[in-house]
Amino acid sequence: MTTPAKFDELIHPTTRLSIVALLAATDWADFSFIRDSLELSDSALSKQLSTLEEAGYLVIDRPVSNDRRRRVRTRLTPVGRSAFAGHVAALQRIVGTASTRVH
Amino acid sequence: MHESVSESDARSALARVDRERRRVIGEFGMPRWYWWSVALGWIALAIVTDMKRPLVTLVATVAFGAAHSTMYHYLAAGRHRTDQLSIRTETVSWYARVAVLACLLALTAAMIVGALLAQSDGARHPVTISSIPVAVTIVLGGPAMMAGVRRSIVRSRTAA
Repeated sequence: MTTPAKFDELIHPTTRLSIVALLAATDWADFSFIRDSLELSDSALSKQLSTLEEAGYLVIDRPVSNDRRRRVRTRLTPVGRSAFAGHVAALQRIVGTASTRVH
Repeated sequence: MHESVSESDARSALARVDRERRRVIGEFGMPRWYWWSVALGWIALAIVTDMKRPLVTLVATVAFGAAHSTMYHYLAAGRHRTDQLSIRTETVSWYARVAVLACLLALTAAMIVGALLAQSDGARHPVTISSIPVAVTIVLGGPAMMAGVRRSIVRSRTAA
């Protein structure tokens, strides 16, 4: 089934797009993996993840205890996956439309 | 905002999406201990085979197969090279399973040929002898094979 193109302003900013694109290729990823891959600070990543979490696009599995060794995992929700797929389709449509205009 | 997004912005965003997907594919592979386990299990199985006790060989073969199958499914064919992420099945498609199984089948064939050659040369432990280069190939070649699979996945996605 083809995902309908829908530009998503929440996902589009550079950092959030990278986070969601990275998570879209995974079942889940560690907070530290995303932070190191995108070269973000803990606080910058936390802020972006919270925004996406509030929108229902991802889930953050926080450690229940105070054990610092336990890792924080993040994963996209079905809503987040659908929004990302729609956003990519919208971007492809923009590129496709522009190419058609040129030719 | 949609209307204000130019073609070059959209291209740049799509390139970013592709870069992150490639980054995840770059994490595809088996942990090093997996290759060592298979290699050592291979040699152990060969030693048992050279003992020429069919029942023991049968039990050892089944045990090796079951242990490998359990490990293989636990690692989900390359999705857990590290414990920092789990790669989605769709991201690596069916390449991983085919690559690992083809590799093991090829190595089994190589070991059989090697054992027959060693036996014809009068070796006392032909299967053990032929298992050693195979085990070395597994340890040294396994990660390289996975790197090749990673490149294939990227190429296939780029072509798609």
